[in-house]
Amino acid sequence: MLKKGLMILAIVLMAMVGLAVTLTVIGPWAGPEQEAFMPVLKAFEEETGIEVEYKVYRAEDLANLLPAQFAARRAPGDVIFMWASFIREYGKKGHIMDVSSVIDPDWYLAGALDPVQVGNRLYGAAYTAKVKPGFWYRKSLFKKYGLKPPKTWDEFLALLRTLRAVGFKTPIASGDGVGWPLSDVTEHFLITFGSPGLQKDLIEKKISWQSNTVRYAMEKLVSLLKEGYFSEPTEWTTILQQWWRGDYALYFMGSWITGMVDDPSDLGVFSLPGAKGMVFGADYAFIPKYTKHPEEAKKLLAFLVSEKGQSLQVAQGGHIATNKYVKLSAYPPVDAEVAKLMEGVELLPDLDDSIGGAFQMAFWDQLKLLWVRPERLDTVLKVLDEKLK
Amino acid sequence: MRRAKLSHYAFFILPALLLLAAFVVYPSLRTIYLSFVDEEGKFTLAGYKEVFTSRDTFDPEGFKRGFPMGTLIHNLLWIGIHLPLSVFLGLLLAVLLKGLPGVSFIKSVIFLGMVMPMIVGGVMIRFMFDGNVGVVNMFLKFLGLHTQTWTAYPETALLSLIFGSVWLWTGFSMVLYSAGLETIPKEFYEAAAIDGASRFRMFFNITIPLLKPITVVVVTMTLLWELKVFDIVYVATMGGPGGASNVLALQMYSYAFREFNFNKSAVVAVFITVSTLAASIPMMRLSTRE
Amino acid sequence: MKKRYIQIIRTVIAWLIAVIWLLPFVGILMTSIRPMSEILDGWWNFKEFHLTPDNFMGAWNHPTASLKNGMKNSFIVAIPSTVLPLFIATMAGYGFSRYRFPVKKTTFFIIILTLTLPQQMIAVPIFQIMNSLGLVDKYLGLILVHTAWGIPWITFFMRNFFSTIPSNVEEAARIDGASDFTIFFRIILPLALPGIASAAALQFTWVWSDFFLALILIYSPDKLLATQRVPLMRGVYHVDWGLLAAASVLVMLVPLLVYAVLQKQYVKGMVGWSLK
Repeated sequence: MLKKGLMILAIVLMAMVGLAVTLTVIGPWAGPEQEAFMPVLKAFEEETGIEVEYKVYRAEDLANLLPAQFAARRAPGDVIFMWASFIREYGKKGHIMDVSSVIDPDWYLAGALDPVQVGNRLYGAAYTAKVKPGFWYRKSLFKKYGLKPPKTWDEFLALLRTLRAVGFKTPIASGDGVGWPLSDVTEHFLITFGSPGLQKDLIEKKISWQSNTVRYAMEKLVSLLKEGYFSEPTEWTTILQQWWRGDYALYFMGSWITGMVDDPSDLGVFSLPGAKGMVFGADYAFIPKYTKHPEEAKKLLAFLVSEKGQSLQVAQGGHIATNKYVKLSAYPPVDAEVAKLMEGVELLPDLDDSIGGAFQMAFWDQLKLLWVRPERLDTVLKVLDEKLK
Repeated sequence: MRRAKLSHYAFFILPALLLLAAFVVYPSLRTIYLSFVDEEGKFTLAGYKEVFTSRDTFDPEGFKRGFPMGTLIHNLLWIGIHLPLSVFLGLLLAVLLKGLPGVSFIKSVIFLGMVMPMIVGGVMIRFMFDGNVGVVNMFLKFLGLHTQTWTAYPETALLSLIFGSVWLWTGFSMVLYSAGLETIPKEFYEAAAIDGASRFRMFFNITIPLLKPITVVVVTMTLLWELKVFDIVYVATMGGPGGASNVLALQMYSYAFREFNFNKSAVVAVFITVSTLAASIPMMRLSTRE
Repeated sequence: MKKRYIQIIRTVIAWLIAVIWLLPFVGILMTSIRPMSEILDGWWNFKEFHLTPDNFMGAWNHPTASLKNGMKNSFIVAIPSTVLPLFIATMAGYGFSRYRFPVKKTTFFIIILTLTLPQQMIAVPIFQIMNSLGLVDKYLGLILVHTAWGIPWITFFMRNFFSTIPSNVEEAARIDGASDFTIFFRIILPLALPGIASAAALQFTWVWSDFFLALILIYSPDKLLATQRVPLMRGVYHVDWGLLAAASVLVMLVPLLVYAVLQKQYVKGMVGWSLK
């Protein structure tokens, strides 16, 4: 009798311990972005009874922390959002769990999982994506001056001239404070005036930064910089507010901008005329081998990237699903314009995120230099080639 | 002084020495070792060669083109500008403030920069030179001059940090010189005044010579700080744009914890250390004199 | 009459300098207590003026880098990292000032040498040592390094302090039969309190302000110290001068308080550890 009682007690205790599992998710989203992510985690908690704690950590900083953590056979979280290049590299080194048993590649957009796949091993899963479609403007502002999105490069130049004539000394806002806003614009020029293939070749280090193809595309950008059409790099959220209130007319930004302004319906966007590719940056998550709750972590990862999980996320605006089964009706209307721009163009991975490491830091830093001293293009390209070694 | 039993002085001194040996002396020696070996542990001078021929450390093109000129030159510039400015300004303030009403408040204000964490100092410097919200631009705008985010341009990024750090550091030399001034007997000045010496002459013939030991200390400590400067640069510019405000300590950190090249990072660390040791010889002479 | 005139000019100049020196602080304070929309064109615009606690609340409860935790963590590290080296180095300083022993000169010379070392010199090996001891990302590891790092200067400082205390009190006690240890703990330590207070004020501020060692050794999001959280206030998708300013104010508040309370000891320490 006593024995049986003890056994029941033990089972109850074990069940309670099992129930008390708390998973830690680490992602890059803070502020409004974080609020848009919480409903997804909440749905998971309700469905499974497993508690989830969310911590914000920038990928830049994780790149610093994780290698050391892994060396010590530890991990700061159970499901971690991180650059694909990093997941791939540390997957190969054996620090990351193979999740091919819970993720079926057929459910996702073509190529979406390529960056985290090594042979038949899958080191991560693709969550929703952000696209970087082009230059955003306020429809009300364009209407006021009778402006239209440009159809050719010449029209684009004409647009910039007109904007300057009506009082925008520097029509295009440049975001800074973190590295990626400048590299996003740069990639858009490389894809438009090079080709979608150039972006891939640069990622795979098949082509030199000092090659004529790269130089040709970069010189288009440099010509605008020299004309002073881009503002000086300013903390990107500060300049977002200044752009919105009318200090600048155009702002190159990713699709998440729709979640950051007061009135998304006033937003318009256009790509550089002739762009045949668009950077499509999925957020990738992985499970470190050193998690204490591998089964629960797998469950969470599978839920996040499922049709249900991604639908919840895209409904918040600013995100595009990588899961093929997410219905269009799941999106808010603002994202329709972005989706329209995506039609017929090749979806490409982000350049510096894919290469990562010391190159990414150098790339960002060199672009900050180029922005204020465009005449130094030669040195910038030379340094980029050196850092790629 | 007593010649003591081993058990006695060991009790007092050994704990300190053990900790020092384990966590300061041994790691330093190991860094020297790391600077001479490659990843497999084989002897190599490649690290030294790579670091000292690298554009990161010394970029001769910079002299024609402008910044970046390499961390070595950047640190030298830091010394060349920050050292005389902050030491002299500190001395001047100490003399100016001597015996004034409200002096302790003014001194505290100037000393604030020394009290706060340097990482906060870096945020404040970045903030001061910001194009929109910076106080430097407030003055420039007032004077009708050009405004910009000074830390974003290669020509001005490093200089902004250097001038900003004068603001942070002047309090140090001011406090030391103030303390030094208190030790100079009034009679010296009174005697000089009777001889008809001008204030100017008194300053150069009495004040400066008598403050010499303090100058040695202030100059040395300032030099050491300039050679090690890290936090400010890390938080304000991360060495950018394009490496235009990079410094030795940040270069060491990037090699070690971004590129994971311990050999090269050890070379930079050894170089900084050799420089600090050389810089502190005069002070060591002063303080080892019994 | 002329003297008075000069005095007035000096006073005016001094206050002018103080105001200029204070401006950046005013700027950061203004930015921290006003909404961002009001200071987009500079905090010196007072067309609109509203006070808001949002920035402070935001920094205090920040999702990535809550300063509530950061400041708590910084205390957890800074207090033992002040007490331990003070105790150990005060003993060592006493040893160096009162005893003669073999290789004393060499040992003392080494201590002075380590005084000038940059932290970069120990960074990589310290990381490796702590990793092999399992002390990476543990406060104990960081405390040990801070303790060891503080020992040279406190030893030096306390040795200088003890050499100003005449040894005849000790001689008298010794004749009365007191042992060296009793003398140290009963007689010397109380006499040394002013020196210890100076050293404590400085060591505490320095440990609190440290960024480099923490950056290398502590990286779990919830263990990060206050100084480490300041650069993190800029999230990937969220950069906010208001938050950054509020965080800066909060992080400097503690050393500022130490300075305000122990001002005399603080300055004495600053002067005394570099001057004899």
